[in-house]
Amino acid sequence: MDSDEEDFVFYGTPIEREEEITSRKKKAVAEASGQLRTLPSWKQEVRDEEGRRRFHGAFTGGYSAGYYNTVGSKEGWAPQTFVSSRKNRAEVKQQSIFNFLDEDEKEDLEGQSLGTSFQFDTFGFTAAELARKQAEKEQQQRPSTIPGPVPDEILLPATESIGVKLLLKMGWRRGRSIKDSHANSLYDARREARKAFLAFSSDDAKAQLSEPEANTGDHENDVEQPASDDVHSSQNKHVDVLNPKQDLHGLGFDPYKHAPEFRDKKRSRMSENRDPGYRKARSMKNDLFGFKSGNVAPGFGIGALEELDDEDEDVYAPGYNFEEKYVQEIDEPSTLTIEDSKRKLLTKEQGVLPGFRLASNSDYQLERFDPPLVPKDFVPQHRFSGPLETDYKVADPGPPEVPSPEDNNLKLLIDGVAALVARCGKLFEDLSREKNQSNPLFSFLTGGNGHDYYSRKLWEARQKQADKTKHQLDGKLAPSMQKISAETRGKILGERPLERSSKDSSSSVVSSESIHLQYNLSDTFMKPTSFSELLEITKPFKDDNAKQERFERFLKEKYLGGLRSTHSGGTSNMSEAARARERLDFEAAADAIEKGKWAKEGKPPTNHITEYLATGGMQFTSGGLQQVQDTQAEEMIKKKIFPKREEYQWRPSPILCKRFDLTDPYMGKPPPAPRMRSKIDTLIFTPDSVKARDREETAKPSRDQRISEDAAEKEIEVEVEVENVERPVDLYKAIFSDDSDDEGDTSRLNNLEDPEKKVEAANTTLNRLMAGDFLESLGKELGLEVPPDVAYATNNASNPASHKEIVNANSGNAKPLSGSPKQDGVPDTQERAEVGVYKKNELIHSNSAKSSSKLADTGSLETKYDKVNSGKVLHEDGKVKTPLSQNRRLSSSSLSEDERSKKRSRRHQHRSVDSDSDSSSDDRGGYDSRSKGRRISREKSHSSKKHSKHHKRRSRDSHSRSHHRSEREHAEARRDKHKRRS
Amino acid sequence: MSVADLPRKEANVLKGHEGAVLAARFNSDGNYCLSCGKDRTIRLWNPHRGIHIKTYKSHGREVRDVHVTPDNSKLCSCGGDRQIFYWDVSTGRVIRKFRGHEGEVNAVKFNDYSSVVVSAGYDQSLRAWDCRSHSTEPIQIIDSFQDSVMSVCLTKTEIIGGSVDGIVRTFDIRIGREISDDLGQPVNCISMSNDGNCILASCLDSTLRLLDRSTGEQLQEYKGHTCKSYKLDCCLTNTDAHVTGGSEDGFVYFWDLVDASVVSSFRAHASVVTSVSYHPKDNCMITASVDGTIRTWKT
Repeated sequence: MDSDEEDFVFYGTPIEREEEITSRKKKAVAEASGQLRTLPSWKQEVRDEEGRRRFHGAFTGGYSAGYYNTVGSKEGWAPQTFVSSRKNRAEVKQQSIFNFLDEDEKEDLEGQSLGTSFQFDTFGFTAAELARKQAEKEQQQRPSTIPGPVPDEILLPATESIGVKLLLKMGWRRGRSIKDSHANSLYDARREARKAFLAFSSDDAKAQLSEPEANTGDHENDVEQPASDDVHSSQNKHVDVLNPKQDLHGLGFDPYKHAPEFRDKKRSRMSENRDPGYRKARSMKNDLFGFKSGNVAPGFGIGALEELDDEDEDVYAPGYNFEEKYVQEIDEPSTLTIEDSKRKLLTKEQGVLPGFRLASNSDYQLERFDPPLVPKDFVPQHRFSGPLETDYKVADPGPPEVPSPEDNNLKLLIDGVAALVARCGKLFEDLSREKNQSNPLFSFLTGGNGHDYYSRKLWEARQKQADKTKHQLDGKLAPSMQKISAETRGKILGERPLERSSKDSSSSVVSSESIHLQYNLSDTFMKPTSFSELLEITKPFKDDNAKQERFERFLKEKYLGGLRSTHSGGTSNMSEAARARERLDFEAAADAIEKGKWAKEGKPPTNHITEYLATGGMQFTSGGLQQVQDTQAEEMIKKKIFPKREEYQWRPSPILCKRFDLTDPYMGKPPPAPRMRSKIDTLIFTPDSVKARDREETAKPSRDQRISEDAAEKEIEVEVEVENVERPVDLYKAIFSDDSDDEGDTSRLNNLEDPEKKVEAANTTLNRLMAGDFLESLGKELGLEVPPDVAYATNNASNPASHKEIVNANSGNAKPLSGSPKQDGVPDTQERAEVGVYKKNELIHSNSAKSSSKLADTGSLETKYDKVNSGKVLHEDGKVKTPLSQNRRLSSSSLSEDERSKKRSRRHQHRSVDSDSDSSSDDRGGYDSRSKGRRISREKSHSSKKHSKHHKRRSRDSHSRSHHRSEREHAEARRDKHKRRS
Repeated sequence: MSVADLPRKEANVLKGHEGAVLAARFNSDGNYCLSCGKDRTIRLWNPHRGIHIKTYKSHGREVRDVHVTPDNSKLCSCGGDRQIFYWDVSTGRVIRKFRGHEGEVNAVKFNDYSSVVVSAGYDQSLRAWDCRSHSTEPIQIIDSFQDSVMSVCLTKTEIIGGSVDGIVRTFDIRIGREISDDLGQPVNCISMSNDGNCILASCLDSTLRLLDRSTGEQLQEYKGHTCKSYKLDCCLTNTDAHVTGGSEDGFVYFWDLVDASVVSSFRAHASVVTSVSYHPKDNCMITASVDGTIRTWKT
């Protein structure tokens, strides 16, 4: 009804009804109670006591007549006088944003808007613009006190100055020069007339006057012309800007205040830099006029005239009118007097200060010296004196020969010491003297018994040493210099040696790359030959002749120098890794020997070697210092175990991100794998995921596998507990409940999955049955015949839980399944069943579930398969046998765990297989052979599939791989056993 | 800040709790403080004048932690009844109760926008609860902890939890990473430095450890107090110049942040000092104790 009414109302307001009025009355009363007063003035409505808004008539204001329904106005009570808008109607008003803003908005804006006041513009905007442009130009040429753009650029004055205004009033227009061109022409004409008159008046004066007149006239023209041009083209040129502040001095500081001579020099240099092009043009013009240059440009001062150009040279010829010059200088800020300029004129030579002039002849003469004469016997090669003092007093004749002392021991000792001192320098002598002061044996050092002999021996040894070093010098650097390796140099320079924890070197799994690096590095270094003598004694690898041989070769190569051949013949039969390891050993041993030599403690160097070998050949770098550092570092590491930082992935929920006002880092990515908190989850999830995999045959890193990994990683204790608690219930369900119950059960189990998977539920039930069967058979096997399988025994021992469970299953199983003949008579099938179970870790179940029906139909084919498969199996067995035992030994403990988890997950699967076979085979008698064949064939297919999978997965994780393999082997072992038995 | 500026003079004693006070916290501007305790109440105080303003009663068991939003309009509290209560400060009514923790809830915090409450529970989990929607389910459960989570801190982008398993875990929501810093000792309480670069973790081996958040390095250890069995709070002063914490012998300790020396220690309470809270701006501190009092300390 209302809508109908509304439809007919086009203009005006509909007549209100009584009820509405009353309601409005109520509203009015309510509003009168004070709510209305809080409203802003423009929202308030005036109502009468009935609650109606007063209506003044459509043409007299409607609901709001007057000023808020009052007779007042904004200004107050005084009525505004009427102003006709008739005349102003056509007036175009410039609109600005302020026309559309409310007062409060304007107030807000006023504080914020940024503008320049018109007082800012001192020159008028054209001038300012010009100045800005020029300044900009100059900005690029000179260093500025204020870096960056000129502030003028930012603060461009908005209005024109009063001067411009005045000029405009006087008739000046923009773009015109201030000087009147008419006046100029008038002036010219007048002057011409005067000239003519003068010419007429006196012929004498003409000779004198004409030239300067012409000069000045021309000159004036010349002056005016470019100036006016300039003005016309660039509008009003402002003069002040010609001397912008270009230096970095403070404002008002004049560095030339007391030395104005320098100003000109400075300016000349500046202008020289500024615009050579313009000057060139001008000078050209000057040439054209055939007139003296320089005077012409008024704005450019003297600076431009102080050019070194050839054209300008004649400007300063004597007789030049310097008066004019002075006039031009007026616009410079300098206060030059006439005298100054006069003086300047005299000395307008290049590079000479005013008041000075160039001397005609300089008394400064360059002194030359002759180059030093090189002595004729000078060899341009520097020989560094090493610390060994090898060429120590080679030339001196030496002490006289002395018979050796009677004591043979003393003689030997002296000989040895002398040789040492000769090789190691005087320092060693001092040291040993100090050390053995109290030792009577060493009295020869301090001048006691045998001193003469010692000194003779020492001399001899030195001679010998010198000879040797001389030989060496022929080809190479001195040995002393060679001893500086990269490391020692680094030590000298205070470099930190590369971090090399002993851990990674000791571990046998050194990455081949690092070995190679070491290898290559050591290749490049060559050691002096002197060590090889010592090394002859040492045989660190006495027990292994071949190795010792290799070591010697290694040493030879190492110390004889030269580039090493990359592969040595003897080691060709060794693997790369082994060679590398041996290499490290050798390096360590060699270093030990080296150090033993350096230490000179009388200790046989082999001790060092054994020490170093005992540490596992980890110190293949020289330097005991570093070892110390290493141990220190280890301590530090031990200290710094805590705090230990690790990083994981973590997925915040989208809503959390939203609440934290952050973008979800995982937005659009698939949901993460659900976290498996315990084994129960794996148990529940496994069959489904397996099915999923079966559906899409493409091998992917499916969840199932991850679960198995998870499972393997989880704690064993927890697992066992879970099993104990959880299993009976599950088993009961599996065994005692019939199919309909199982349906419900599976749905409960699968409640986390999609409900659409109803079809799979049936399969699951089958699986459950199969699993039960499997358990039964397993239990049987365990209970009745204990196979002589070591691994299996350990398995049993290690987890009583599984055992218990199995027993449980056994007892339960006997009832519902009519499997008693199987248990008793056919151990083969049990075993095989187990094999199947072991094999199918992921695939088998789904496969079997699906293919079961097919297999049941094609019974005839199975026999064929049987034959083929048995052959194959035999083959496989032969292969697998040997690694099997090893593997088991290696992974017996982990295997047992894995198996356990596998078993649990597989219970269902196996069950289904068995039940399936039950249903397919009618007669018990033929069951054995047939089912056997079928089983094997099935297994075959699974195994092959698994093989392929297995290969793919190999690279991904080693754990699961070993796990798989062990399982398979286990299975095959069983099959093998079975073969043997049958 | 010199040692003399440390709040060591007792300004007020707030008495009212019947039984141990488990936590005392300044509000964001430091004008008021909240306390909660074994008497199942939360109390609002003016610590500067020593006035008890309001009592919030609804918890069924002891209240272990309380936190107030920056605008002082809402409270959240948690405790032994496994629930998180979301209160309206002015009316004193419970707006919402969040249930879901499987054990006692040790700590609770609002995020910056007061839209999420994050709670740390004995059930080895951190849970985030949505204050905006009406759902009572947690919007996030973080269960990577291996033991009871004792304390939680929130930044704009991160959730940081300290657990008895000795690990301080930082969950960065922005990049979806969990960073775990293993301290090797059960962590009692964590608190952020005011500049947000460091975490101070109170460990049960009577040591406070200062961790650099970006690198996970341990910057300093603070020793001298006793903290072996109680959950004792620790915090940095408002200038980050000192570290303060209570002790089980009733003392309050001040350490120099950098050189870890005990700058000051004094007997504040008759019994275990469970909680310390430093004024966000002034040199003022409140301490709560098992003896049932809260004390205000000023310079």
